[in-house]
Formats: sequence, structure tokens, C-alpha cells
Amino acid sequence: MTDRSSVDHSAEGVHPAAKPFLFLGNENVKRRFIWIPLIGMLICIVLGMLYPQKHPLPIEKYIPGSWAVYGFLAYSFIVFCAPVLFKLLGRDESYYGEGGLPDPDYSTEHLHEEDH
Amino acid sequence: MALMDYIPEWLLIHGPAVIIVLPLIMAAVTSILPGRKPAWFVAMLVTIICTVTAFAVAIYNLKTGVDVYPMGGWDPPHGISLLIDALNAPILVLITLMAVVSLVYALPATLAEVEPKKRAPYYAAFLLCVAGLLGMVVTGDAFNVFVFLEVSSIATYVLVAMGAARDRRALSAAYNYLILGSIGATFFVIGIGFLYMETGTLNMADMGRILADLDGGSRVAKVAFGFIVVGLGLKLAMFPLHNWLPGAYAYAPTQITMFLASTATKAALYLLLRFVFFVFDPDFDYVANVLQFLLVGLGVIGMLFASLQAIFQTDARRLLAFSSVAQVGYMLLGVGIATAASVTAGYLHLINHAIIKGGLFLAVGAMWYRFGITRTADVNGLGKTMPWTTAAFTVSGLSLIGVPFTAGFVSKYQLATAAAANGWWWAVFVIVLTSVLAIFYIGRLLLAAYFQDAPVMEDGQVCTRNEAPLLMLIPMWAMAIASVLIGTNILGASDLVVGASERAANLLLGLGG
Amino acid sequence: MFDLMQINPGLWVIAAGLVCALIPKTSATSYIRKFLIIAAPVFAAWLIFQIYDSSEVLGGKLSFSGIELTTLRIDNLSVVWGYLFCLAGLINGIYGLHEKCRITDSSALVYTGAAIAGVLSGDMISLFIFWELTAISSVFLIWKGGDRSYAAGIRYLAIHVLSGVMLLAGAIIYAGANGGDFSFNYIGLDAPGGWLLLLAMGIKCGFPMLHMWMQDAYPKASITGTVILSAFTTKFAIYALARAFPGTDILIWIGCVMTLFPVFFAVIENDLRRVLAYSLNNQLGFMVAGIGIGTTMALNGVVGQVFVHVIFKSLLFMSIGAVMYRTGTAKASELGGLFRSMPYTTVFCLIGAGSIAAFPLLAAFVTKAMILSAAIEEHLYIPFLMMLFASAGVMEHSGIKVPHFTFFAHDSGRRVKEAPWNMLAAMGIAAALCILLAWPWGGYQMLYDLMPYEADYKPYTVDHVVFQLQLLFAAIFAFTLLKRFKLYPAERRAEIIDADWLYRKLGLNIVTWISAMWTRLGAHTNRLRRSTTDALGRKLYQAFSPAGTMSEGTPSGLPAVLTAGVLVIVLAIAYMAGT
Repeated sequence: MTDRSSVDHSAEGVHPAAKPFLFLGNENVKRRFIWIPLIGMLICIVLGMLYPQKHPLPIEKYIPGSWAVYGFLAYSFIVFCAPVLFKLLGRDESYYGEGGLPDPDYSTEHLHEEDH
Repeated sequence: MALMDYIPEWLLIHGPAVIIVLPLIMAAVTSILPGRKPAWFVAMLVTIICTVTAFAVAIYNLKTGVDVYPMGGWDPPHGISLLIDALNAPILVLITLMAVVSLVYALPATLAEVEPKKRAPYYAAFLLCVAGLLGMVVTGDAFNVFVFLEVSSIATYVLVAMGAARDRRALSAAYNYLILGSIGATFFVIGIGFLYMETGTLNMADMGRILADLDGGSRVAKVAFGFIVVGLGLKLAMFPLHNWLPGAYAYAPTQITMFLASTATKAALYLLLRFVFFVFDPDFDYVANVLQFLLVGLGVIGMLFASLQAIFQTDARRLLAFSSVAQVGYMLLGVGIATAASVTAGYLHLINHAIIKGGLFLAVGAMWYRFGITRTADVNGLGKTMPWTTAAFTVSGLSLIGVPFTAGFVSKYQLATAAAANGWWWAVFVIVLTSVLAIFYIGRLLLAAYFQDAPVMEDGQVCTRNEAPLLMLIPMWAMAIASVLIGTNILGASDLVVGASERAANLLLGLGG
Repeated sequence: MFDLMQINPGLWVIAAGLVCALIPKTSATSYIRKFLIIAAPVFAAWLIFQIYDSSEVLGGKLSFSGIELTTLRIDNLSVVWGYLFCLAGLINGIYGLHEKCRITDSSALVYTGAAIAGVLSGDMISLFIFWELTAISSVFLIWKGGDRSYAAGIRYLAIHVLSGVMLLAGAIIYAGANGGDFSFNYIGLDAPGGWLLLLAMGIKCGFPMLHMWMQDAYPKASITGTVILSAFTTKFAIYALARAFPGTDILIWIGCVMTLFPVFFAVIENDLRRVLAYSLNNQLGFMVAGIGIGTTMALNGVVGQVFVHVIFKSLLFMSIGAVMYRTGTAKASELGGLFRSMPYTTVFCLIGAGSIAAFPLLAAFVTKAMILSAAIEEHLYIPFLMMLFASAGVMEHSGIKVPHFTFFAHDSGRRVKEAPWNMLAAMGIAAALCILLAWPWGGYQMLYDLMPYEADYKPYTVDHVVFQLQLLFAAIFAFTLLKRFKLYPAERRAEIIDADWLYRKLGLNIVTWISAMWTRLGAHTNRLRRSTTDALGRKLYQAFSPAGTMSEGTPSGLPAVLTAGVLVIVLAIAYMAGT
């Protein structure tokens, strides 16, 4: 690892190999990222109409971009389930009363009791 | 058997005499040896020779059938004879093996448990005890049984008293044991006297023949039977004659406790079998009645009562001792039902319990050795501080409860089947119930050992890992593994012991019925 | 007598592990350990290569008290697992090179060896032995995770030993009905003991409601421990299922449920290693369903899926492990923005995420589709849709959530060093394999050559690529859209209860209640006992209670009296018989 010696951890602590990609953290870039999957999806839907599936499900023939629709709905359904499930299943971290740190050799987490 | 090729011919022929005479003579030699190691070494050598001989004799017997060895060339019934048959051969092997295993353990254990200057006499007394036990098992002469019974008992009193270096209460326990043991031996010898009066012989095979001719004999024979059953009942810790046992087991040196628990009561039980089925006959009315009402009754009451007592014990060894009394109840139940299957089960439980309880006492002894633990309240966190010892204890403990794939399950299952086949469903219920009780008294220790935190010492440090020495771990794991092997029939271990038990039971009932 | 070709290669790895455990712990011997940990899997793989001759090889036959054991069987099915486990052992070994811990090294080797030996053994007794050995050796890896993992390790061990015992019991029943033949081949549910065997395997590969040991134990192990654990146990069980129950219909539905339910847990879970454990469970669902479909294409798909799955799952666990090694936490709520300081790890993680989500040109793309296509060919439309739904779920938890919340998202401000060189090397190998095994021009064909049946499937057709991309793009679009409208739930620290609640909370409470009741009952029975014994007489009480006369020392006359009493009873019984 040649780059390890040249890393300057004191200032920003950014890895030199990561410097050209810092723009990924930019808020505008983040906001506009949405266009990539959208355009990709639309292209694929069009391509999907040009090259239909060899073995579609019986009803798939009538839905253009069937997998895109299915994927979008499935994904949204999962995410919308999350808050409900969290209410049902989420408990305090000390719920089971088994304390301790994840891998105590390295852990930076504080013991839970001190949080509260 | 490849082993047989290496055993000289004379050892096979004279083997029954060798296993008694050798330890007797070497006991005298051992007592004057200087220091700990030479004495231990001699004792180890003697017991190993005895083990090999016992194995050889047992295998030889398996091939050739009953083997009567006339002492000094005097043929029975006039001379004293030694006898090897399917009934006592496995017990011989068990006693010698347990002697070796316990001696391995003794090397580190005596350091802590026996005063330095008493160590050579300690090993000498141990050899005497072994000789006495082997003698009373191997002899075919009723009075000889008494003599060897006394040899082993007196040696045992001494050995128990030597536990005084660890706990002064050993002295009173030994004294208590001495009084009661003497009462038992006296009852036994009175019974032998009555029998001699009735039959005019001391050879057991001869007695059996004459009693059968007399069709059970007169009232003298009945009185003799009563005295012998009670005398032996005391020796084998039949409830309620078990009072000597918890004290003796709790305060004797660990090696002795283990050896007594796995052999002494077992040898007495063997004698009971010998007298009930071989000298007397379950076909006699009075024998049948005593078996059915007294042995079964006391056995079952003992199982329940001693299990309950075990639950409330605060001392780990006393807990195991009471459990032993309960387990004796299982064996008595098996003997009392008196069918081939039940006697097989009783005999099997005799062997299995020797292995199981041996392992448990060794593990508890190791806990004392490292942490001075005697009370059940002190085992907290041992799962972390002594993981190997606790694991061995767990395996043996599960076996005691009778968890499937352990030795305890095999014999308890056999016993329950035998009782059910006899239509005694209440006995099956009692067996299950006492096994549940066993879950409580063993489980209590296991829960504390695994799920409580290790105690904090006086200087505020948490107890760290301090495993028992290797020489202690080897014997206790040998016991634990043996019990798993028997439970799972790996290497045919289960077939071996079940086969031996069946042969013993067939011999008993074949001759009796 | 000593024939290298007759000895199960896994045994050498186990032996290496034992050597590691026995050599003393100094800085010099740690190099020996590290050498063994790299060399042993390579040696085992070389042996498999030498032994296997493209037909079934049986060897190492032993006979114990009438039971015939075949300790070595390498055929077109087991050889794949053999190579795979050797490869995984090697990658794990490289990843763990920085570990100074002797226990980790030796138990990792024994565990790896047991898994290799297990899949290469030809009878159910050997299978059982290695089945248990994998559990026993791996629990140390869990315990290396510190205090919090102790109880989880015990639970893990208990469940796995139970599974082993069930396996043995099932094997004995099965062999008993087949005249004592213990050889391990197709069993099926109709065979006696079949259900027991299925259940035993089901525990180990995480059937719904039998799965919770995985999410309980894996996130609590040490950093290297989790990586090692994730590779073997469950895939060993998948092998057993593929061997014993191919084409068992119920497995299709079990598998589909298995693909679905972890998706919902993963989305709300905060501990990323636990998310990955759920994701592992979900992946196993695809395999189980494929085994249930049981056509040659489905089984090929399962084998391929297992192969690449071990690689990309390890890759994901390794990248999260590296993050945890540097930052000290794997909680999504504590992380974010790490691409600034760990760029290489980020790239590797993205490759792993893309692989698991089945992006074209990345590993799962060429294998998962085989299982899905097999479902369509068999007209199993509902299972197909369930699995397709789960594929979108995979995209959510492993494809997006794990890399997003670790490396991108809100900058946590943590500036740490890049992962150590050995971790990067291990991740690099795994990432290269992910790409290589899906490479359209000569790459995936290597993988297909390993498959047990002739594989004539073509993954790179236009419609397959296009529709797969539709699904993935739609999922990413949904994610960005929900993020934009603040509908995507924030990561919160919490303990998510799963089926293990049944015994960790409910069961525990019941037991606590019973023991409390027992204590009270004990007190009551004590009182009852005391009053009864008082009534019976003080002497009796003194003799029998734990602190009674007997422990004081001097023998009371009572035992002697009792002896006489028993004698009287015996004589009375004897006399009554006489009259």
C-alpha cells in the first residue's frame, strides 16, 4: 500500500484516492442523483417493449415495463412497512439486558447504561 | 481377542487368586515405602496388574463358562474356592478399573487432601480396600465373604478418617460409619451362622444346593435370610439404612468418595444378588415376599425420599450422596421385580451409576481442589472459571438425570420397560418422577455454574479461569465419555455392558428358576 | 494403510487447527499459525483436485460394530462445496491475518475443516460428527465477541447441538428402516425419519421460525469471527438439503417465505451486521426454494448461487467488518460518509452490493436467474412473484441500505484510516471473483462448468438484462424518490425483536416465574415438611434434615434402631410367607 505513507490524517483526514470523488458528498449532486435511476428505468422500459421477455407471466404481456412497476411497488411497500414494523417490533437497546460492547477490542460504542 | 495372546497361561488359571493376594501383599509393602510418589506408583502398578488380570479372567470366563478355582488345591465344598462367573466378572472389572481411574486422580488430589506423612499408609489402606472388595466379589465361600467384607470396611473407615486433613468432620463421619458398618457386618455374620446351622456348609454353591433340597429350609433359614438382607442392606445403603453414607461420602478424600460410590455399595449389591438368587431362590415364598414387598417398597420410598433430600441439600457432595441412595433404589427396584429384564436393568444401572457418580464426584472434588467449593451456593460462574470440569460435570449430570444418548438413559429406560412389562405402571411413574427430581437437583448446580457470574474475591477481583490439573481432568472426562459412549453405543460400548448385564441376569435366573 | 487419497481432505485442515491450538503462543509461532491458516485450505483444495476424477469417488471406508462408514465421497455435487469452502477458508484466512488471537485462528481452521470434511463425507454418521463439530468449533468465534456474546453463544451452541441430535436420531430411524445402511443419499419426506432430518437441516439453514440463532449470534461475534461464520454453517446445511431433499415441494414454499420475511426485518434493523445476517437468511431462501423446485436447472442454479453467494456475502461482511475495525461500530445510525476515508473499501462494498442485488456483470446475475427461470418453467407463478419481490427486497437492504448508510448518506464526521492491507487484499480477491464469475466472455462459463448437471442456460440475453435492470433501476428510483420526500425512515438505535423473543423473553419469563414459584413452593414444602416431621417425632427430624444429627458426628442410636426395625419387618414378611 504505497499511499498509506503519504496520507495526511491530521487535516481533513480524507484519503487521497477519495479526493477526486468528494463531489459525491455535495448536496446538489445528491439531489440530482435521482435522474440517473429514473432515466435508466425509462430507457429499460422502452427497451423492454422492443425486446419482450421470452417467457413472460400470463398477464405480463399487457403491462409495459412490468418488472419496473413491480420493483417500484415492492420497494415502496417494504419501505412503507418499516415505520409500522418498527413500532411493533422495536424495543430499547437494553431490552434483553445483555450488555457489553460489540467486539470490545475495537469498539467505540459507549456502554448503553451511560446513555440514559 | 488380541489381548489374550499376551496373557500368560498361569495368570489366567491363577488370576482369581492373584487379584486378591497381590494387593494384600503389596499393601504391606506400600505402607513402609517412603514418600508419596513411590507409594502411589506401587499402588498404581498393582491396580493396573489387577485390572489386566480381571479383564483377562473375565474374557476367559466368557469363553469357558463358570470357573471355580480351589484355593490351595482343596476342592470345594471342603476347601475354600474362588469363583468367576458371568455375575461377578463384570464387577471385578468395574472395581479394578475404578481403582485405576481414582488413583490417577489421587496423585494431585492427595497433595491437598491427605497429610504428607500419612500418604504411604493411605495408599496401603486403599490397596487393602481394593483387595477386600475384590475378595468379597470373587470368593465362593460365605464366611470368606464376611472376612473380606471386614477387610474392605476397616480399610474404608481408615480412609474416610484420613479426610480429616480437609475437614475435621471426617472423623465423626468415619466413626459413625464404623459403628453402622460393624452392625451391618455383624448382622451379616449372624445370618451366615444361621445358614451354617441349617446347611452345615459354608460354600455358597453347596448352600444353594442344600437349601433347594430342603425346599427353602426351616425357620432358621428364614432368620438367616432376614439377617443377611438387613446386613447387606446396610452396606449397600438401602433406605432407611443409609445414614452412614452422606457423611462418609461428604468428608472422605475425593478419591475415596469416588471409589466408594462407584464400587463399595456396588459390591454389596452384588452380594445381595448372589445371596438372593444363588444361595436362596426367589421361588421360596419368603424370598419372593421380601423381594416384592421389602426391597421394592424400600427401593421406591428411598428413590423418592432421598431425591427430595438431595434437592434440599446445601453441600454439593451430600447432594450427590443422597442421589446415590436414590439410585440404589433403582437397582433394588430392578432386583425386586425379579424378571430377567428387570434384573438386567438393575445390574446395568449398577454399572452405569458407578461410571456416572464417579465422574460427578471427581468433578466436585476438582471444584474443591481449585476453589474450595463444597456448598452448592458456591458454584456460581464455574462455567467460566473451570469450563472443562464443569463440562464434564454437565455430561455426567445429564447422564444421571437420564437424558437420551447417555448411559443413565439406557438403564433407566430398560428398568422402566421391565417394570411396564410386569404391569407395574406405578413404578414407571416413580422412575419418571425421580428423574424429574434429579433434573432439579442437578439442574440447580448447572444453572448456577453457567448463568451466574463468577464470584468477586476479597480483593475486588473477579475470579479468573483456574482449570483443574490435567491428571484430574483425564479421569473425570474418561467417566463422562464412557457414559456418552454407553449412551450412544459408539464402539459398541452399550452392547458390551448390556450384554454383560443380560448374561449376569440369565445366570441368576437360570440357576434360580 | 496410509493412503492420502483415502483420507477426507477436511481432516487435514482440522489437524492444522489442532496444531494451531497446541503450539505455544509467542510472536514467532504466530507466523506458523498464519502460514497454516493460508496453507491448509490450499492443500485441501489440491487434494480434492487430485482425488476427484469427474465421477463419484468413494473412499476412507471404515466399519464400526457393524456400521459401514464412508468417510470420503467426492462427486459432482460435493466437489463444488469442497472447492468453495477451501476458497472461503483462504479468503477468510487472509482477512484475519492481522488477528493475534490463537483461539480465533485454531477454531477458524477446525471449523473450516469440519465444514469441508462434512460436505465430503458419504454417510450420515460422519455427517453428524462434522455437523456437531462445526457448531462446537465455531462457538468460540462468537465468544470472541466479548461479554455480550456469551449468552448468544450458549444459545447458538444449544440450538446447533439440538439440530445435530435430531440429525442423528433421524439418521438412526432412517437407517434402521433401511437395514442399517447409513449412506447419505436422497432421502425424501416419505422415508421414515425424513421429517426429523429435514427439521435438523432446517434449523441449520435458517427455516422461518428456526432462523433466529443466525441473527442472534452472527452480529455478536468478533469482526473476523462474523466473516468466517457467515461462510460455512448454513451452506453446509444447504448441501445436506440439496443431497437429501431435492424436489421436495414444501421446500419451495418454505424457501419463498424465507426470502420474504428477512426483508422486512432488515429494513428496520440498525446493526448492519445484523442486516447482513437477515440478508444471508434471505439468500438462503432462494437456495432452499431452488432445491424445492428440484429440476436440473434449478439445482444448477442453487449450486451456482451457493458458490457466488459465499463470495459476495463474505465480501459484504468483510467490508462492514473493516468499517467496524476502523470506526468501532457497525450501527447504521452512527456511520455515514465514510467513502471519504475508506474509498477502496467503499468500492469493494459496492461491488458486493451489486453482486447480491444481481446487477448484470456481477455475480448473482448469472445464477439467481436460473432459479427464477426454473420456477417459471415449472409454472410456479406465485413462488416466482414472491422471489421477485424478495429480489427487490435484496436491493433494498443489501444493495442500497448497507453501502448507503455506511459510506454515503449523512457525513458522520468520522475520519479513519483505510482498512489494513490484508483486509483490502481479501476483499479485493472476493470482489475480483464477483466480477470474474459473471464475466460474459469466458467468465461465467467457468462457474457453469462446475455445476453438477449440463448447464445450457444463457444469462446474457437482451430481455434478461433489460428486465433485471428495470427492476433494479425502479428500486433505486423508488429509494431516491422516497428519500426526496422524506418518506424513508431514519435509522434509529433499537433492539428489533424476532422469533428469538419466544425464548429470550417469553421463555425466560416463564422459567423465572416457575423458579419463583418453586422457591415459594420450596419454602412451603419446607414448612410442611417441618410440621409433618415434628408430628412424627423430633428424633426422626434430627436424623433426616440436612443439618441434622448425622452431620454433627456422634451416631445416634436411631440408625441401629432402624436396622433392628427393618430386620423385624423382614422377619415378619418371611414368617407370614411360611404360614
